[in-house]
Amino acid sequence: MKKNFSVVGRPVIREDGFEKVTGSAKFADDLKIEGMLYTAMLRIPETHAKINSIDFSAIEGSQYLTAICTRNDIAGIKKIGVIKNDQPVFCGDKVVTPGDVIAMLAGESEEELHKLIGKIKVDYTPLPVLTDPLKALDENALLINEEAGTNLIVHHPLRKGDVEKGFAQSDFVIERKYTTQLIEHAYIEPESVTAIPMGVSRGIKIIGSIQNPFTTRRIVAAVLNMPLSKVRIEQSHLGGSFGGKDDTMCMLSARAAVAALKTGRPVKIRYTREDSILESYKRHPYIMNYKAGFSKNGKINAMKIDIIADGGAYVSMSPFVTWRTVVQATGPYLIENVHTDVRAVHTNNPYTGAMRGFGSPQPIFAQESLMDEIASMLNLSPVEIRRINGLKAGDKTATGQTLQNHDVNLLTVLETAVEKSDFTNKWKDNRENKKILFEPDFSNPVLKDNDFIRPEDSIKRGIGLSVSLRGCSLGGEGIDAAAAYLSLQSDGTIYLNCGLAENGQGLKTTFSIIAAEVLGTTAENIYYLELNTGITPDSGPTVASRSTLMGGGAVKNAAEIIKQRLIPLIKSEWKLGDEEEIEFAGNKVSASGKELTTFPGLCRLAYSRGICLAAIGWYKSPDVHWNEENGQGDAYFTYVYGCQVAEVRVNIVTGEIYVDRVTAVHDAGKIINKLGAEGQVYGGVTQGVGYGVFEEVTHENGLIRELNFDTYTIPTSKDIGEIIPVFVEGDDANGAWGAKSLGEPTLELASAAIANAVYNAVGTRLYNLPLNLEEVMLGKKLRPVNNKRGSLA
Amino acid sequence: MNNIEITIPKTLQEALELISGGNEGIGIIAGGTDVVAGMRQGSNRFGGINQLVDVNHIKEMKGITGAGGIVTIGAAETFSGIISNKIIRKELPLLAKACGTIGSVQIRNRATIAGNFVNNAPCADTVPVLLAYDSTIEIKSLAGKRELPLAEFLKAPYRTQLNSDEIVTSIKVPLPKGDFKGDFYKLGRRRAVAISRITLALLIEIKESRINRLRIASGAVTPIGTRFNGIEKEFEGKTADEKTLKAIASRLGERVIEVTGLRWSSEYKLPVVQQICYQMLYSAVYGGGK
Repeated sequence: MKKNFSVVGRPVIREDGFEKVTGSAKFADDLKIEGMLYTAMLRIPETHAKINSIDFSAIEGSQYLTAICTRNDIAGIKKIGVIKNDQPVFCGDKVVTPGDVIAMLAGESEEELHKLIGKIKVDYTPLPVLTDPLKALDENALLINEEAGTNLIVHHPLRKGDVEKGFAQSDFVIERKYTTQLIEHAYIEPESVTAIPMGVSRGIKIIGSIQNPFTTRRIVAAVLNMPLSKVRIEQSHLGGSFGGKDDTMCMLSARAAVAALKTGRPVKIRYTREDSILESYKRHPYIMNYKAGFSKNGKINAMKIDIIADGGAYVSMSPFVTWRTVVQATGPYLIENVHTDVRAVHTNNPYTGAMRGFGSPQPIFAQESLMDEIASMLNLSPVEIRRINGLKAGDKTATGQTLQNHDVNLLTVLETAVEKSDFTNKWKDNRENKKILFEPDFSNPVLKDNDFIRPEDSIKRGIGLSVSLRGCSLGGEGIDAAAAYLSLQSDGTIYLNCGLAENGQGLKTTFSIIAAEVLGTTAENIYYLELNTGITPDSGPTVASRSTLMGGGAVKNAAEIIKQRLIPLIKSEWKLGDEEEIEFAGNKVSASGKELTTFPGLCRLAYSRGICLAAIGWYKSPDVHWNEENGQGDAYFTYVYGCQVAEVRVNIVTGEIYVDRVTAVHDAGKIINKLGAEGQVYGGVTQGVGYGVFEEVTHENGLIRELNFDTYTIPTSKDIGEIIPVFVEGDDANGAWGAKSLGEPTLELASAAIANAVYNAVGTRLYNLPLNLEEVMLGKKLRPVNNKRGSLA
Repeated sequence: MNNIEITIPKTLQEALELISGGNEGIGIIAGGTDVVAGMRQGSNRFGGINQLVDVNHIKEMKGITGAGGIVTIGAAETFSGIISNKIIRKELPLLAKACGTIGSVQIRNRATIAGNFVNNAPCADTVPVLLAYDSTIEIKSLAGKRELPLAEFLKAPYRTQLNSDEIVTSIKVPLPKGDFKGDFYKLGRRRAVAISRITLALLIEIKESRINRLRIASGAVTPIGTRFNGIEKEFEGKTADEKTLKAIASRLGERVIEVTGLRWSSEYKLPVVQQICYQMLYSAVYGGGK
C-alpha cells in the first residue's frame, strides 16, 4: 500500500468548476441547431383510463405542425424499461399513470405546438384507480399490467437462522410500523435532449442531460431497431441527476430519436418543471413492519421484517432497489435469526425507481428508529445498544456474508462521531431537561389556560444518531466492470476518459487525481474528454456510488499500464540497474532520489522512441454470490460504514424542526478528492434532511399536487445549519488504494438521526416521514381536500 | 403563455390613458412575480390578458417619503427598496420584517408592495402588517383619485375594489402614535422561499398595566388578510396579565373558526395560531427575556 501521496487527498480545483461558476458550461438545453424542431406531449388528466380513439383531424395540415409521433412510428420495441420492457414510448389503448404520453407533436414553435395539443380530441373512459399499495396484492385488485397477471413486481425473501426460536429466547419482543414518503429527485436542471439524424448509414446522434449513456444507447437502439454502433450518445454537462436521469432520459431520447428519423431533422425535447415532476420517476414509498426480539442485556436475537414498496405503474428499477433493501434491512447488526420479505408492487401512482440511496434510506429510518426505541426500553444509550450489536470484522451479515478483506469500521465511525459531537453529554442533558409538552386536541380547538406555552419554553434541544453499512457498487445486481482511456501527449499533457459519467459528483476531478498520482504529474495537466458512447468503452451505468471504486480502479490500471511501458525505457536510456527504484512525483522522474528528467521530457522521449502512450485500463469487481430462494450469499464484494449525528431544536408550539448541526462520519476508504468528498457530504446530508423533514410528493387519486418548487419544498441554505464531514479512511484491497463509496451513504442516515434527535428533545417517537409540521404536532399528515389552488381560479 | 403586448409608459397620465377604456384584456404589471407565474400556470385570472402596462418606470409610483406622521410608499416600490429604507426600518419595523420574509432576494428585488395586496392572496405577507398599521391606499384613474382604507379595498381572495381603469399609485402608512410594542410572525414550510401557512401582525400599547390599544391582523389562516377589530375593542382597557393575553389568543382562535370555518388544515393551524398569538403578546408585554 502506498503511503505518501502527492495529489491524492489534497484539495484540487474541480475540473469543470470554472465553466460552471462563470456560466459558460453548456447544458443540454443550450444546444441549438439550425432547423431543429421542438416538441409537445399529449397526455390526459387521468390516472387510469382506456383510450377509445384519438382524433388529430383538427390539427392536421396546421402550418405549425411538422409531425405527429405515435406508437405506429416505432420500428423496434414499443415498450421500454431499464429492467423490464413495460413502459410504452407512446401509449396505445391505455394510460396507467398521469405522466403517460399518448403522442408527441414536433414543430418549430413550442408555443404553437402546445396550442395544437389542446385541439386534439382524445376519447377515453376512466377506469378504477389503484393507489393503495397494501391493496395491490388483494385477490380482486385491478391489474396495472394485465400481461404480467399480477401486481407483484418482485419478492425478495431472506431467511437466516430460526426467527421464531429467536423470539422465544428473547426477554422482549416489540413490533413497530414505519412509513416513508414519495419524493422527487429535484435536480435543478429539468430534462433536455436533442436527437440528430446522421443519415442512413450513420444512424443517430443524441446529446442530452443523460445519466447513463450506455443504458440510453441500448434502449434507443432497440426502439429504432438499429445496431448499438449506429446510436451515439453524447453527454452534456448535467445539472443534477441523483439517480433520476436514467429511465426518463432513455424515454425522452427514444421519443426524440423517433421524431428525428420521421422528420429527418434534429429534434429537441425539453421539459418544464411541471412536465418533469409529472412524468419522471420518484423514490419508493415504503410501508415497513419490524418485529424485534431482544434480551435484557440489549442483544438482538431475532428480527422479522415485512416491507411493501410502492413501485407505481412500471417496473423500472424496483427489483434492484428492493434487493438492496433486503440485504441491508437489518442494518449493521449481528443478528442470528432474520426473516425478511420485501415486495414491490404496482399501483397507478407515479412510478418509482432509482434515487440516490437506492432502497437504503427507508429501512435505515425504520431500523435506526427501532434501535433507539429498544435502547430506551432497556435504559441503554443509543451508543451502548449499537456497541452491543454492531458488526465487527469476521461477523456474518443478515445474508450470511462474513465481513472480511477490509477494515470493518462500523464501531470506529460510531465512536468518532460520538466524540466529535460530544454526543453522550448532550444526549443526557437534553433528556433530563424538564419536558413541557403541548398536545393539541382537535375536539376542543379553542385553547384553554393550561394549553399555552411561554416563548421561552417552546424550543427543545435534541441529539440523535444513526449508523449504516452499505454494500459498494452493484453487487448481485449484475456485471460490474469499468474502463478508462488514458493518452499521454508528447508535451506531457494527458487525455483522460472513462465510461462512467460525470453527473455532477466530480468524477472528472477524482479520476484526474488518480492518474496524476500514478504518473507523478498534476491534475491540471489532465484534459478530461467528454463521454461519447462512440469512443468511450461501455462501463455500465453510473450508479450505486461506484465511480470512484470501479472507474477509479480502471483509471489507476490505465496509468499503471503506461507507467510499466515507460520504466524499461528509463532504465535503458539512463543505463540503470534493475534494483534502482524509479519514482514519478512532482512532474519529475527520478531514480533512487536522483532526478533524471521532467515528466514532459519523458513523454517527449517516449514519443520519439515510438512507444505507445495510450492505454485502456480495466477494473472488474471480484465475484459475488446470491441465492434468490433464501436471500443468502456474498451480496457485495466490499462495504462502507457511516454514522451521522443530528443536533436539532424542536419548536413544540409549531412543530418546526431546526437542524442545527450534522456531524457526518464516513469510512469511504481512501479519500482521493478531498473537496469533492466534502461536497458529497454537504449535498448528501442536505438531501437527507430534505427527505427527513421537508419533502413529499402527495397525490389525489394519483394526480400529483406538488408540480413545482413552490409547493415541493426542498431545503434552502437557511434550513440547515452546520455540516461537519469527518473521514475515517479504512483499508481495503479493492479500488484505487482502497477508495470506495461515499455519494449515497451521505444521504441515507440523516432522517433516522433527526427522528432520534426529536425523541431526545421531546420524548415523542415519530414513525412516518417526512417529519413535517403536522407530523411533529399531530403524529399524522393533513391533506388538502382537492388539488385546486386558489391562485389559479 | 399568452401572446402579449407590453407597453412601458413613462408617466402616470400615459398609463391611465392606456387603461382608460376599461378593457378587461389589459393588465398592469410591476414586479411580475404574480402575473408572470400566474400566466405560465394558466391561471384564469390572467387568461384573457393580451396587453400589459408595465408601471416600473413611472416616477410617481416609486419612492418612499415621510411627512406629517405618514409614510407614503410608491405602489411600484420593491420589497428590497422598502427593507433598505431607514424610516421604515425604524418607525415601521413590522413592515420591514414582513417584507424581509417574502420569497428570496431575487423575488424581493422585483416584487412590489402594491402587487402584494392587489393580488390579494390569502398568504400575502405584508397585508396583515399594513392592516395593523391602519394603512390607506391611493387609487387613480383618468376620472380622478380616491383614497380608502386597505381593509375596505380587499374584498375576497384574489379580489379587490380595483376597477379595470384604475391603478393603485401609493400606500400611506401612518406612524403609530404612542408606545406600541409588537411583531410580525410568519410560519412557512421552510425558512426562505416559503408560502405562508400562518402570518400574524400584532401591536399593543400598555398604559399603567392595562391594554390601552391593541391591533391584531392575520394572514393565511383567514380567507384574506383580516384585522380583528372586535377582539381589539373587547380587550382594550383590560389588565395586561397572562390571563388576559391567553384570553385574547383563545378569542382569536374562536374568531378564526367563525371567519374561516373548519378546513383540512385547521387541526394544525388553529392551535398553532393561538399559541403564536399568545407568545407574541407575551413577548410584547414582558419583553423577549422573561
